[in-house]
Amino acid sequence: MLLTYALATGLTSGALYALIAVGLVMVYKSTGIINMAHGELFMISGFIAYAVHVQLGLPYVSAFIAAVVCGFGLGMLIYRGALKPLMRSSLANVLVAAVAISFILKGLARAIWGGQGDYIPFPPILSPMPIMLGPVMVIPQQIIAVGVSVALMLALALFFKATRIGKWMQATADNVKAARLVGIRVEQVYVLSFGIGGAIAAVASVIMAPITLLYPDIGFNLFLKAFAAAVLGGLNSILGAVLGGVIVGLIEQLAATYLHSKFQEVSSFIVIMFALIFMPNGLLGQRNIRKV
Amino acid sequence: MSRLLGCRSLLGALFICLLFLPFGANPYWLFVGNLILIYIVLALGLNILIGFAGHLAFANAAMFGIGAYAVGLLQVRLSFPYWLALPSGGLIAMLLGTTMAFPALRLSGIYLAMATLGFAQFTQWVFLNWETVTYGAGGFRVPAVDFSPLALPPKIGIYYLSWLIAVSLVAFAWNAMSSRIGRAFVAMRDGEIAAESLGVTLLHYKALAFAMSGVYAGIAGGLFAGLLDYVAPETFDLFQMITHKAMVMVGGIGSITGSVIGATLLVLLLEALRAFKSTQEIAFGTILLVFVVFCPGGLVSICRRYLPHWQEPLHVAQHAAILPDTDSGDVSDSPPPPARAEL
Amino acid sequence: MSRLRVENVSLSFGGLQVLSDVSMEAGPGEIVGIIGPNGAGKTTLLNAICGIHAPDRGRIVLDGTPVGGLKPSAIAALGLRRTFQTSQLFRGMTVLENMMAGMHLGTHSGLFAAAFRTSAMRREEARTIEQAHAALRYVGMEQFANHPGSALSFGQQRIIEIARTLIDEPRIILLDEPAVGLSPPRVDELTELLRRIRIEKGVTLIMIEHVIRLVMDVCDRVVVLSSGGVIASGLPDDVRRNREVIEAYLGSEFDAGRAQSQRLV
Repeated sequence: MLLTYALATGLTSGALYALIAVGLVMVYKSTGIINMAHGELFMISGFIAYAVHVQLGLPYVSAFIAAVVCGFGLGMLIYRGALKPLMRSSLANVLVAAVAISFILKGLARAIWGGQGDYIPFPPILSPMPIMLGPVMVIPQQIIAVGVSVALMLALALFFKATRIGKWMQATADNVKAARLVGIRVEQVYVLSFGIGGAIAAVASVIMAPITLLYPDIGFNLFLKAFAAAVLGGLNSILGAVLGGVIVGLIEQLAATYLHSKFQEVSSFIVIMFALIFMPNGLLGQRNIRKV
Repeated sequence: MSRLLGCRSLLGALFICLLFLPFGANPYWLFVGNLILIYIVLALGLNILIGFAGHLAFANAAMFGIGAYAVGLLQVRLSFPYWLALPSGGLIAMLLGTTMAFPALRLSGIYLAMATLGFAQFTQWVFLNWETVTYGAGGFRVPAVDFSPLALPPKIGIYYLSWLIAVSLVAFAWNAMSSRIGRAFVAMRDGEIAAESLGVTLLHYKALAFAMSGVYAGIAGGLFAGLLDYVAPETFDLFQMITHKAMVMVGGIGSITGSVIGATLLVLLLEALRAFKSTQEIAFGTILLVFVVFCPGGLVSICRRYLPHWQEPLHVAQHAAILPDTDSGDVSDSPPPPARAEL
Repeated sequence: MSRLRVENVSLSFGGLQVLSDVSMEAGPGEIVGIIGPNGAGKTTLLNAICGIHAPDRGRIVLDGTPVGGLKPSAIAALGLRRTFQTSQLFRGMTVLENMMAGMHLGTHSGLFAAAFRTSAMRREEARTIEQAHAALRYVGMEQFANHPGSALSFGQQRIIEIARTLIDEPRIILLDEPAVGLSPPRVDELTELLRRIRIEKGVTLIMIEHVIRLVMDVCDRVVVLSSGGVIASGLPDDVRRNREVIEAYLGSEFDAGRAQSQRLV
């Protein structure tokens, strides 16, 4: 009984981590940048949805749309405004810039919506009454969360396989020089990658906010877990990110249930270190052969 | 006159100012000055690792914390006197830092950065949760450092101790980086494979770089514990981590003077921003972002451009592009070669 | 002056067989050229010799010492140096400092000797600077001593890299396409330099090259690699007339006679 509960909760948070990780990996594959402000995209979009739905009283759908637009736009803005000029500079500069952006976003959220430690409650779409799914008791929101995540990932897979833009993104991720030579507007691909990554984070925030509760510092924590998921799956594999997310979510819950609740936080850190040291290519990633 | 505007004279001037600061400064400014000295040591160690040896590592805040906790716990739980606890804390931080050289052999760039970030977060979790040893979230009080044999009040004593240590460690780093050790580091940073083929044993030098940055951070942490008379986990979090990085970047990667300038400026900046309470984060983030975007080489790059007598041991790092395909912009007398060697 | 023997070396990367049963030899003071079409495995062979990759099978013996599988720094300590196809001058240092970096194995000051500037360390530093200048003078580049490594043209960088390998009295040098990116007059200068190195320094040289003229002028013997295997080896003139070699470069339908008459080979 305890196990099934842990699995259900783990799966739900796993879906969340998977979504964030997918956005992260997508951006990394295209541009080679790990966007350390990615978690803040989630956070801000969630707050925007809160502002639209709860504070302004507008219908849920408009909150959803507002959040996605915000995530998309903010993602693009982060790239064009800050990260693009630094791409030729050192890695350290890019990381510091991304974290600086995350500080700005965090500060803004705190100033506008609440202080440190304030948890913003977000109402779920359906009634919060738990229902029985076989032997497991779940909240409807969890089912929605997992369902939407799966749907979104399928949509993404379709996007990459079937649309022209998706194929451009794949090509750029594979070999930038060749993509340029073939006439692909690599710059647009970069901007789009960041935008889509942000949009995915926004969707995640809207469906997960009722479960996880929003607070300004959630961004970095999520980033670390999403990164653990991404590394576990192999930093250049989107499917790996999904797999990694689910695994991290499950490990967290199992550790919290069977060891101690304080082990929940640290599981992702251990996963990061373990995965990078013992299997740097992750479960589904590709080996990098050192060429001279 | 321009001859005087070299980096050595700047360093000298700064340290002389700091030497005389206690004469006439109120306790607040004494505290800030001491912080500056501590962060100079910390930033210097980090710059050796990131700037000279080229390893992007986030573990510095962890080393700082380990140093502070080690020194504090040795005093509180094992009754070590401070003069013994401080070097021991530095040694412990050094040993732990050196273990990261092993993953550094296999990981590079973003992978190493994130692995060390994971380690840093793990360390903070240990500080927070291993309550039986570390006293948990509340932290613990450390007895004030006893300088009575020298007839100095504790605050003055710790200030001059920090000053002495800072000056010695700056000189140590300067000499070390001007030697074959420094050249081996920069070679490792700029062309690992070529460095190896010239005989630079990678494990040895990576371990050395991590060890040096570890011991610098650990001693800075021990001094920090001595300054505050208190050790608590929230002083070693993400904000700290980024502040350390910022010190190195603002000053200039690969420049010793840069670390000193960066540390000084950032401590002063953070103190100035204290007045902004709620918007401190936004202000800090904005300033940092603007700086990194418009001056990625750090302040030292400006000094080097306008002050012809600015002589540093080894040059400030040339930036390596993230994407392997960006053009290097070299002047060639013939078309550039293929980017990848044939197998 | 070293003797290098490569015996039946095979190497594969993730299922791709890059070197198959390669054997070759370079005697003391010889200049051996390695030629072959793109993708033949020439650079991989050099990488295996200098320790970047360990061979799956076979032996590599340097002056009687087996070196297969040793780390590059260990093999460098035995007197082996190499240059790379892309410029590997350290960008964060001046040309002179790059040369001094080349003296790494010839100096021994540790961290504390450096930090406290002991007299032994200062003597070593002075000697290193002197030898760095001498090496630059040898290749005629001393005027660039204080330039940052990246400010020079590609051709100049390659020459300086060669100088960097010479600084510590090496016994054998591996050169990976030293002439790439050089204009014809510079190729002549390089030819001169290589000849001088062989006569005056007595170093064994193994050289990958595509510029056939350079190979013919300078090499004592030539080894031809194609698709990971040695297809010919011997005197330059013999190799150039070898039918298999011509086929490897130009394809089997091409008439060998016509190739020679058109001075393509």
